[in-house]
Amino acid sequence: MQPAFALIKALVVLLFGALIVQLVHLQVIRGDEYARQAEINALRELPIPSARGLIYDRELRPLVQNSARFSATIVPGDLPERGETAVYRLLAAALGTPAAEIQAKVETSIDKEGEYTPVVIKQDIKEDTALVLMELEPHAPGLKVLVEPARRYLPGPALAHVLGYVGAISPDEYKQLKEDGYRLQDVIGKSGVELTYESLLRGRPGKKLVKVDAAGRELEVISERLPVDGANVVLTIDLEMQKQVEKILEQYVGPQDNGAAVVMDVHTGEVLAMVSVPSFDNNIFSGPLSERDLAALVDSPAKPLVNHAIAERYPPGSTFKTIVGAAALQEGIATPSTTITSRGYILVENEYDPNVVYPFKDWAALGPLDFYGGIAMSSDVYFYYLSGGKADEGFRGLGEERVARYARAFGLGEPTGIDLPGESPGLVPDAEWKRETLNEAWFVGDTYNFGIGQGYLSVTPLQMASAISAVANGGQLLTPHLLKETRDSHGNVLQKIEVKARRKVPVDPGYLQIVTDAMLQSVTRGVAKPAAVKGLDIAGKTGTAEFGAPRFDGSHETHGWFVGFAPYDDPQIAVAVFVQRGGGGQEAAPAAAQIFDYYFHGPKLAAKPVLSEVEGPEEGG
Amino acid sequence: MERRQVRHFDFILLLLALALVTYGALLIYSASLNAYPGGVSGLDHPLVKQAAFAIAGLGIAFLVAWLDYRIFGQMAPALYVLALIMLAAVLVIGDSAYGSRRWFTFAGMQIQASEVAKLLMIVALARFLADRQAQMQRLSVFLLSMGMAALPAALVMAEPDMGTAIIFGAIWAAMVLVAGAPGRYMLVLAGLLMSAIPFATLAVLGEYQRDRIGLWLNPNADPLGGGFNILQAEISVGSGGIFGKGLTEGSQTQLDFLQTQTTDYIFSVLGEELGLVGGVILLTLFTVLLFRGLRAAQLARDPFGRLVATGIVVMVLFQVFINIAVNIRLLPVTGIPLPFVSQGGSSLVTLFAAVGLLEGIVLRHRQIEF
Repeated sequence: MQPAFALIKALVVLLFGALIVQLVHLQVIRGDEYARQAEINALRELPIPSARGLIYDRELRPLVQNSARFSATIVPGDLPERGETAVYRLLAAALGTPAAEIQAKVETSIDKEGEYTPVVIKQDIKEDTALVLMELEPHAPGLKVLVEPARRYLPGPALAHVLGYVGAISPDEYKQLKEDGYRLQDVIGKSGVELTYESLLRGRPGKKLVKVDAAGRELEVISERLPVDGANVVLTIDLEMQKQVEKILEQYVGPQDNGAAVVMDVHTGEVLAMVSVPSFDNNIFSGPLSERDLAALVDSPAKPLVNHAIAERYPPGSTFKTIVGAAALQEGIATPSTTITSRGYILVENEYDPNVVYPFKDWAALGPLDFYGGIAMSSDVYFYYLSGGKADEGFRGLGEERVARYARAFGLGEPTGIDLPGESPGLVPDAEWKRETLNEAWFVGDTYNFGIGQGYLSVTPLQMASAISAVANGGQLLTPHLLKETRDSHGNVLQKIEVKARRKVPVDPGYLQIVTDAMLQSVTRGVAKPAAVKGLDIAGKTGTAEFGAPRFDGSHETHGWFVGFAPYDDPQIAVAVFVQRGGGGQEAAPAAAQIFDYYFHGPKLAAKPVLSEVEGPEEGG
Repeated sequence: MERRQVRHFDFILLLLALALVTYGALLIYSASLNAYPGGVSGLDHPLVKQAAFAIAGLGIAFLVAWLDYRIFGQMAPALYVLALIMLAAVLVIGDSAYGSRRWFTFAGMQIQASEVAKLLMIVALARFLADRQAQMQRLSVFLLSMGMAALPAALVMAEPDMGTAIIFGAIWAAMVLVAGAPGRYMLVLAGLLMSAIPFATLAVLGEYQRDRIGLWLNPNADPLGGGFNILQAEISVGSGGIFGKGLTEGSQTQLDFLQTQTTDYIFSVLGEELGLVGGVILLTLFTVLLFRGLRAAQLARDPFGRLVATGIVVMVLFQVFINIAVNIRLLPVTGIPLPFVSQGGSSLVTLFAAVGLLEGIVLRHRQIEF
C-alpha cells in the first residue's frame, strides 16, 4: 500500500475520532445540562389577561363595553416561500390597500424588525372584514389578524370627563407598577373613573405555562392559573339626567366658552350628574389618535379635555354670600332683622390719608334691606357691612380671618375628596396668605371683595355644590362621590359606598334655616327669579363674578353662577351651575331651573324660559 | 462491458451510499414535520424530491460506471472550463441566501455550482497530474496544479463559501501527494501558510468570515441573531444524550428551534433524536464508505483512476468532517452539506456520479483472472 493512502486512512480515523470526542463531551458529559436548556427553550410562562370590569350608571345602564380592535398584519417569517405575492393579493383585495404597498411595508419591516415581528398592514379594520380575514388565516400562512381589547364608551362625550379613558401604560407607570404584575403592553386607566378605580376594574391577570415553538407559537398548555376578572362598578350618575344636564348647559354656554354643572344628593353626597362643556369623545383614545386631532383638543380655547366641574377654579361671586351670611348670623354680626341701607355704594377712606376715598359699588341703590332682603336682592353693600364692617358707623364686620375660617369650614380651599383625579383645591385667601404670596398688606377693601365672593377667592363648581348641600342638610359637609357600589360579574354586590361626612359646619341649624329662607325669597321675589320652577320651592342664589381688567366703561366681564337646592322644605338635590362669560340671572339660573324641572317633573326638557320682563340692571358681583 | 468485469462491481460501496441516503431520508422526514405536519402527502415534500434525486443519481451512477471512466479524462479540459463557468455564473446571476450566493437557476432547476464543480475539478486535476507522472519532482508542475485548484477555490471564496474553498485545497493536497509530489514541497507550503495566518485573518478573510468566527467563539454575543443557530444546534445535539429522544420526538427539531434543519443542520436533528449511538453509526457508515473508496484508488489500473478515486474520498471526508464539526461547534459556521444525508439535488446527484466513477474504476481494474 502506498504511504499516501495510509496517511488518508489515518486522517479519516483522526478527524472522525475528533468528532466522536466532541460528541461524547456534548451528549454524555454535558448531556443533562443541554437537555434542561432544550426544555427551557420549549416552555414559556404567558399571562392570561383578566377582563376589565364594566361600569354602570345608578340604574344599571351600561356605560362601557369591552370590545376588540382588529388589525391586519403579516408575519414575514411565516409567509410561504414562493407564494407570498398570493397572500399580498388576497390582503389587498380584502383591505383595498395596493399589493405593492403591502409588499413594500413587509420588506422594510424585515430589514428593521426581523422576520417574526408582525407587520401591521392596516389598523382598526371593520369587524366583518376581520372575520373574513380570520377565516382565511389557515389558507394564507403569514396572514395574522391581531385582536386587541378595546374599551367602548357608550355615552361618548356626555360622560367623557367622569369615565375618563384607558391607554397604553407609559414607561413611568410601568416602572411603578411592574411589581403589581403590569406588563409593557398593558392598558391602564388614564383619567376619570377608569384611573381612580383602576385596581378594582383591572382584576388579577392569570398565567399559564405553555409549550412553544421557536417563533413563540403556543402549542399546548401545561398548567394555568385562571385570571380574576375586574369588578363591575356602579356609579351614582344617572345617565339620562347627565345627558339632560349636558343638553341644558349647552344652550347657555357660548361656543368659545366652557361651563359646568353638578347635581348632588344633599343627604348622601352621591353625584347624580357632573357635566363639563364642551366635552370630547373619549372613544378617540381607544383607537389610533393623530397628533393633529390631539393638538386640536389640547389647544381649543374652551379646553374640552379639562373637567371644569372640578379641575378649574373661578371666583364664586355672590353665591359666596350664603356662607358669609351664615357666618355673620353664627358670629352675632347680624340677625334676621339687621337692616342696612344700600345707596348704591359705600365710601371707604384711605387708612393714612382721610382725603382719599374709595367707592365700593352695589349693583343698584336697593334701599333699606334686612337679612332676607340682603340675600334675596344680593346687595353688595349689605355684605360689605357683614364682612368688613363700617368703622365710621360703628358697625363691626366679620373680618377677613373669620370669613376665611367659615369658607374653609364649608370646604372651600380644599379638595372635596371626590373619587376623580385632578381636582383643584381652589383658594381661600387671608391676610397671611396675601403677605406671603403677594408681599402686600391686607386692606379692608380686600375684605369687602372677599365678602361678596370676589378678589382672590376661587372655587370649583363641585365645591359650591357640596357647600350648599351642607346648608340644605343641616350642616353636614359630605364627601361627594361617584362610586355607588361594586358588583361581581353575576350582579352580586361586593361593596356599598357609605355616606362620608367630612365635618359638621360650625353653624347652628337654625341659622342655616334662616339662610335657606333667604335663598327661597331670592328665587320667589329676588334676583334668582329666573331659577323658579312652577310647583317647586327652590332655595337658590345666583352669582355674577367679575373677572379680568375693567372694560372702557368701567364694567367687567363676568362668570355666571347658580347654587341652590330643592324642595325648599325637604331638600333632596343640590345644583351648582357655572357658565363662563355668562351672568347668574341670565344663564346660570334658567339652566338650573330646567335641571330642577327635569329632576322633579319628569323626563321632558323644560322649555328655555323667556324672560317676560327685564328686571332692571343686572345684579352686581 | 464484459461479463467478467461485472462481478467486480462493488456492491458494498453502492449499498453504503444507499444506506446513507435512507438514513438521511428518515432525518429529512422528521425535520420536515414542522413545515409538513401531514407527513408525505404531496409531490413538493422534501422527501419526495430527495427520493427523485436519489433515483436520478442512481441512474447517473450506473451510466458513469458503464462508460469507461477514461473518457472523462479526455474531456478534462472542457470539464474544467465548465466548472469555472458555473462558478462564475453563480457570482453573476446567482441567488443569494444567508448572506452568500451559492445557486443559480438553470432550466428551472436550482443548481449549487460548487457541489458540481468539486467533482469536475477532481477529474481535471487527475488528468493533469496523470499526464505528468514523470515530472512530479518539478516545482513547476506542483505550482501549476496548485493554480488549477486555486482558481475555482478563489471563485468559491468570493461567494463567499470558505468551507468549500478549504475542501478544494484538501482535495488538491491529497491528490498531489498520491501523484508523488515531493513531501518537502508540501512541508514548505504548510510552513508558508502557517506564517501567513496573521496576515490572512486581516487581508483574506472578509468581514463576513470574521463575524462568523467571532460568533463561533462567543455565540452568546448575539443569541437571537447570528449566534442563534450555533447555540440551538449545540443544545440540540447535547440534549440528545446517548440514545437520543427518538425519531420525530426531538423538541428542538419539532418546535423549529433549528434552521436549515434538512440541509446544513441535519446532523443536529440526528444528534437530538438518535443520540450518540446514531452519530457513531453514521460515522461508521462513512468510514466504511471512505475505505471502499480508497480500495478503488488502490485497485485502479492507471494513475488517472487512482487520482480520481483519491480526490473523491478526500472530498467526502472533508465534507463530512466540516459539516459535523460546524454542528457541534468545533468549527465556525460554514454551509457544507452532509454527503448523501442532507437534502439537496446538486449534492446528491454529484455524489452518485462520484460513486459511479469509483465503480467504473473498480470494474476496470487490472486483476489476474482465472
